[in-house]
Amino acid sequence: MPDRFPSPFEVATPPGAEGWERMYNWYHLFGDDRREADEQRFWFADRLHHPEVLHPYDEIQCECWWQSLGAFNTRIFAMPPAFGVDQRILNGRLYVTPVPAPPEDVAARAEEFGRRASHYYENWDAIYAEWKAKVTAKLDDIKAITFAPLPDLEPEATVFDHVGTSAGYRMIADFDRLVLTMYETYQYHFELLNLGYAAYLTFFGFCKNAFPDIPDQSISRMVGGLSVELYRPDDELKRLAKEAQRLGIDADVLAAGSAQELFATLERTDAGKEWLADWRRTSDPWFLINTDPGHPGGYHYFDTWLENQDLPLASVQEYVRRLQAGETIDRPTEQVLAERERISGEYRDLLAEDDRPAFDEMLGLARTVFVYIEEHVLYIEHWMWATFWGKSKELSRALAAMGAFDEPEDMFFLRRYEVAETIYGTVAGWSVGSPARGAEYWRPIVAERRRIYEALRAVEPPPALGPPPAQVTEPFTVMLWGITTDSVKEWLTSSDGGADGAVTLRGSAGSPGVVEGPVRIVRDVRDLDTVQQGDVLVCPATSPAWSPVFSRIAATVSDVGGIMSHAAIVCREYGLPAVVGTGNAVALLRDGQRVRVDGDTGVVAVISQDG
Amino acid sequence: MTGSAGGSPEGPWTVELDAGEQPAALVGGKGHGLMALSAAGLRVPPGFVVTTAAYRRAVAGGLDRRIERRLAELPPQAPLDAVEEAAAEVRALLVAATEGHPATAAVADAFARLGERCGSGAGGPEGDEVCVAVRSSSAAEDAADRSFAGEHDTYLWVRGVDEVQRRVRECWASLFTARAIAYRAGGAAPAAGPDAAPDAAPDAMAVVVQQMVPARAAGVFMTLNPSNGDRSKVVVESVWGLGEPLVSGLVNPDRFTVDKVTGDVVRREVADKPTEAVRDPDAGRGVVTVAVDEDRRSAPSLDRDELAELTRLAKLLERRAGCPQDGEFAVAAGTAPRAVHLVQARPETVWSRRPIRRVATRTGMDAILATLTGATQVEKTARRPEREAT
Repeated sequence: MPDRFPSPFEVATPPGAEGWERMYNWYHLFGDDRREADEQRFWFADRLHHPEVLHPYDEIQCECWWQSLGAFNTRIFAMPPAFGVDQRILNGRLYVTPVPAPPEDVAARAEEFGRRASHYYENWDAIYAEWKAKVTAKLDDIKAITFAPLPDLEPEATVFDHVGTSAGYRMIADFDRLVLTMYETYQYHFELLNLGYAAYLTFFGFCKNAFPDIPDQSISRMVGGLSVELYRPDDELKRLAKEAQRLGIDADVLAAGSAQELFATLERTDAGKEWLADWRRTSDPWFLINTDPGHPGGYHYFDTWLENQDLPLASVQEYVRRLQAGETIDRPTEQVLAERERISGEYRDLLAEDDRPAFDEMLGLARTVFVYIEEHVLYIEHWMWATFWGKSKELSRALAAMGAFDEPEDMFFLRRYEVAETIYGTVAGWSVGSPARGAEYWRPIVAERRRIYEALRAVEPPPALGPPPAQVTEPFTVMLWGITTDSVKEWLTSSDGGADGAVTLRGSAGSPGVVEGPVRIVRDVRDLDTVQQGDVLVCPATSPAWSPVFSRIAATVSDVGGIMSHAAIVCREYGLPAVVGTGNAVALLRDGQRVRVDGDTGVVAVISQDG
Repeated sequence: MTGSAGGSPEGPWTVELDAGEQPAALVGGKGHGLMALSAAGLRVPPGFVVTTAAYRRAVAGGLDRRIERRLAELPPQAPLDAVEEAAAEVRALLVAATEGHPATAAVADAFARLGERCGSGAGGPEGDEVCVAVRSSSAAEDAADRSFAGEHDTYLWVRGVDEVQRRVRECWASLFTARAIAYRAGGAAPAAGPDAAPDAAPDAMAVVVQQMVPARAAGVFMTLNPSNGDRSKVVVESVWGLGEPLVSGLVNPDRFTVDKVTGDVVRREVADKPTEAVRDPDAGRGVVTVAVDEDRRSAPSLDRDELAELTRLAKLLERRAGCPQDGEFAVAAGTAPRAVHLVQARPETVWSRRPIRRVATRTGMDAILATLTGATQVEKTARRPEREAT
């Protein structure tokens, strides 16, 4: 077993990907000027948030959290042991490393943290209410931004309302506003998140200390279950399914091959129109759901439900079928809450009597913060990112229509600063009434970058770089990324090429139970219809858009995520085994192989090569 | 229902296991435990106890004095082989001299009733005869007795009334082990541990006669984790076949750690089990050790449903007793939960005497800071604790 991962300076450029560095901002790259420092650090591929090769434009996703997580940990709350999480891009993939605070500063930082964090914990619910207001205001702001090809002649209103600016200027300003608004909401994202995790982890550690073998899931079951909004999008689809039944149009819903087809059918009847109006009302905001396999909203090119309404329709059809079969489709909320009280009460009774007040206090705080931990995903990762990408695509269509590129998608092969430059160039041309330097300039560059992008995608990147730590102790790394001392060892072993057909994968035990079944690899939510009853879903990660599939599968295996990942949470709810954070199940397993998924121990074993 | 078909002023000579709780002075420790299980509505194989009253009557009128005289010949600090010799002599004397003792008919009646109750074929290959386990149940049973378990005092797959009668008397004789004698003589053999009762040499023996569970798997359980005192777990050890080799520490068992609250099997350590103890297929009685089929050797000896039922029973038992328990179980052919039987239970004596460990060393912001600075190491405690020694 090698004792370290490859140095970032030794990793070869994939054939055909030469020059990939020009696709990303210079500050995001490894460079000889900082080689000495960077070679000594342990970097792991952040497949949780960014499992795929980044488009140049999508680099903004990384930048948002790079800066804001860092600032809140390092500069605002003075997290005692942890500064931010540093980032580098190598061969189009994001690698990260947590930055420790200098040991000599930890005591002073602890004191600061105590004062600052207490204020948030003591006023959590009020601050969270303010937070929702701030974020929904930002959402309204970017929804109000529109991008359209600039007009030949400005409307009269520009004159008679004394607007005083040109549409071209407003396009420049609106792009900046779009980026900065997204950026601003990311500040809010980390205003509460890591404080929330710190409180949750404290309760987690207490439970592990009191009951050494307590399953991770038991702890989250004591804490979770309260957040209504997290499940709201799926609940809305269930409601629409019931409405279809009530209005007697369920047969039409089931018969439709696409949303388009269904809408045409429904326009013909009053009941159909009523349901359609309901569907359209529901779509804002509840269809602002990203379908990325990793972190929702991580990439521009996955459709939202709003953009591809076949996706929510497929779920509604599934629910209609289940309703017709006489099944209950409602989430057993009361049951979940009753079970949560039972579990908490029974563990509490097993503690020494003097420990019970501390248990109550830690559990109470963990429950308070947990609502945010679960719900912020809806506000930021879904609503904000879905809107941001939607508006970015609107911009790309406007620019392409004005001849800045050959086609809208070309814009995403430009870095965001290059997009700002392009807008300026295009606006200048429009303003003076002479051709802008646009498509001809970008055509060869975009063509080359498309080739590079494909070349990068074809290569499975190393899971980590540089010397591994003796122990992974940084609590957020363990909790958020599901990375442990053991998993790092596992990566080193498998990078040794030890697996010769007899593949055994290890991850976190996300949801208990042991089951066998055929592998079905799904990289993208659009491929979910390939999943058959009883399949073992093997995927990079799941998101709420994947919800309907859980009623069909036998188990889930994911590349990324810890016990708080979507796949783990939903599998626990459905009583399905899940092994999450395996690192490379999608790459190592093949469709049709029979596997045993052990959600108790976090092990996935191939038991035969065909099903 | 008390099934006494005879008795003395000290009490009935036989008592059925489902007759409600009875004092250990009458039915011995094992009998007391089983009757308590049965009274709690837990699944216990049917059977009866030959009481200490029957024993006392059997040795009364001279035999007891002859035994005492033989033992009195042993000098203080007698060498171990001399003690062994005296013990063997006394046991042989007791078995021979108690043939046809006054409770013989009562034992035969109780055995016949058990046969009727179990119906034809219950436990036996012949279809007409119940097979039983015959186990000594000393009145002062405690942890110190455990070292004898499986050696002198338990007979499995016993068939026919004559063999039952003989095994009952052999169980009586197991009262006189070298160790108990040495102890009584003030000799060198110490009690097994701090938990030995001050009077570790009981002066009366009851015997449990119980329908044999044709065990597909069997083992022991504890309502806490003995390696760390964690009371939120039930730890189960099991083997294929009969549980006796496990109880005697002769084989490596599978080990399962089950969370009491959620029922999750949080650890599953499956051992290689090359042999198992089963009923002698030729004789139809007694026990032989056989090789385990290749495909079962490293397969878990309990499945999820069996573990779930066992956990449920263990929790019930503990709640009823009000303190941590350990015990033995057997899983008959067929499916859980009906196949899972408890065959013994007693209070756990090591951890349950200690106060529950305190863990809340810090509270409030101090606790959060400890988490962040690694004073409470989440990863270390959260993932894969060291495999404990068994």
